[in-house]
Amino acid sequence: MAEVVLKGVSKSFGDTVGVADIDMIIPDGAFVVLLGPTGAGKTTTLRLISGLEKLDQGEVFIGGRRVNDETPAQRDVAMVFQQYSLYPHLSVRENLAFPLKSPILNTPEEEIIRKVEEVASVLQITHKLDNKATALSGGEMQRVSIGRALVREPQVYLMDEPLSSLDAKLRTDLRIELKRIQANLGATILYVTHDQIEAMTMATHVGVLDEGRLVQFGTPRDIYENPNSVYVASRLGQPRINILPGDLFGAAPKGAHQIGLRPEHVAQGEGRAAQVGRVEHLGDHTRLHLRLDGHDITTLADPHADYEAGAEIKIAPRDPLCFDATGNRIY
Amino acid sequence: MSETPMTRAASATPPSVARRIKGLSDRAIAWIFVGPTIFLLLAINIFPLIWTVRLSFTDYKANRAGREIKNVGFRNYERILNDSDIWLNMQATAHFLFWTIFFQVLIGFTLAYLINKKFKGNDLWTTIIVLPMMLSPAVVGNFWKFLYQPQIGLFNYIVAFFTGKDPSSFEMLGSVDLAPWSIVIVDTWMWTPFVMLICLAGLRSIPDYIYEAAEIDRASKLRQFFTITIPMVLPFLMLAVLFRGIENFKMFDLVVQLTGGGPGSTTELTSINLKREAFEKWRTGYASAYAIILFVTVFGLASIYVKALNKVKER
Repeated sequence: MAEVVLKGVSKSFGDTVGVADIDMIIPDGAFVVLLGPTGAGKTTTLRLISGLEKLDQGEVFIGGRRVNDETPAQRDVAMVFQQYSLYPHLSVRENLAFPLKSPILNTPEEEIIRKVEEVASVLQITHKLDNKATALSGGEMQRVSIGRALVREPQVYLMDEPLSSLDAKLRTDLRIELKRIQANLGATILYVTHDQIEAMTMATHVGVLDEGRLVQFGTPRDIYENPNSVYVASRLGQPRINILPGDLFGAAPKGAHQIGLRPEHVAQGEGRAAQVGRVEHLGDHTRLHLRLDGHDITTLADPHADYEAGAEIKIAPRDPLCFDATGNRIY
Repeated sequence: MSETPMTRAASATPPSVARRIKGLSDRAIAWIFVGPTIFLLLAINIFPLIWTVRLSFTDYKANRAGREIKNVGFRNYERILNDSDIWLNMQATAHFLFWTIFFQVLIGFTLAYLINKKFKGNDLWTTIIVLPMMLSPAVVGNFWKFLYQPQIGLFNYIVAFFTGKDPSSFEMLGSVDLAPWSIVIVDTWMWTPFVMLICLAGLRSIPDYIYEAAEIDRASKLRQFFTITIPMVLPFLMLAVLFRGIENFKMFDLVVQLTGGGPGSTTELTSINLKREAFEKWRTGYASAYAIILFVTVFGLASIYVKALNKVKER
């Protein structure tokens, strides 16, 4: 496994900016999650590292080697594509064995069989090994596609929303499995997802992309607790952070145009009276949707307390994040 | 009541017709619609086939209608299968079939592979390459006759240019050795585009992302070609071979234009031979037996082939 370094990486498609001037260090053995809305450049970043896309500017290093002019094969990366990309004319077994049959690796036949069986059992597709790749459900195809990456031991794994089409249970299983593989093998993984739980539970680092630029890079906890802009703050957290006018609770903190309040940072029983809109009982906790001067505020509440829609409760901010007029964090 | 196709059809039916079909069941009406087609099919396809089988056991001659018809049993079949000349015709046909298909698949696939690489003007090239296929076989036969002309023919001059031979020293259509190849060349020139189009459809059906995945899986270009391109185009390729095989088994027009079966009978394909027996020598019974033998051969080969094709497609 290896460290991956991006230096000033840019790529445009005609007039559309794919990624712009990205600097990022993915440490050896790290599990880096890229977050961002559609079109932010997450997939492009993966494709640039894999070599499927040529750089316009900048440099990519894998394991200290400059790989700008190398083919995907020379770079030795494994990739899980969003759209599965299985070989439709081959069986599941042949699909899984395909990367191992590369003459570069020269894997002995018994070794191939052993690895394929092993990966298939991890992904729970052993009973489908002899099926044709096209005779599978979406989730099974997704697993074969992950398996095709896992049979190898590449410099880096690139994964483009690999768990997005799986059912909840399997997703949880594979999340744990991927994390275990990363920990055991010391694998370097760059992972694109929309799923905030995946990001928080698996990542050692999170990179947030906005219109092709890397706007923040750090540990998940750092990104959650210390976002450097409204944009980053809105990417993590479920329910989303409440972005409110700075002066909603009396005088605004100095220079603050907006304040950001995570649901757990709304103190109850003091401050201004807000109206209860909707109450969601989720079992282990309760979500309250409040309304204050025309602003929606979501907060958490004691699961045992009873709230009536239309009732009034007093709320006050606790440790708010303060942002200036352009959305950048002040303190 | 809302208007459905049924009620609309009912209200559009003229009263005179409506009166006549009243009381008929749906099934009876269906038969009235399908009946004419079935009748025509029986009259011009099925009946002649059965009648040919019957005639193949007789010594019937169609130009002597009044003559008494004798049943000869399997004698026609025996004579055909023991006739060494007919075996020569069969060999000529096999030669023609094998080499036309070989060259057309080879060149057609290569052209498709090259055209499929995205380059400027590939649409224009496709159109140019496809042109020969659009021409009438009579026209193609005629102008290739001129191209093959030893004194003025362009073909001879081009060959002469590359080999240093005298252009009039060889006759493509007149020599026993070259004539079988001359018809292979013309058929290949004319029908390679067809094979190319089918291969192109096959190549275009392979999505780019499969090659990207293979690229990531560290498959070399050569391995990608043999493990992805070829297997995925194979069903298309086999279909092209089937079409060309059936077409060329009954090849007639081009060859008649070019060589008329000569010199001697070196390019006399079975279909030409059959036409001679049936409509020049008027040995109708004999020719019927001949036709049945050819029919069974083609049908048998095609059935085996289609089975193989389905197997490839299932893979």
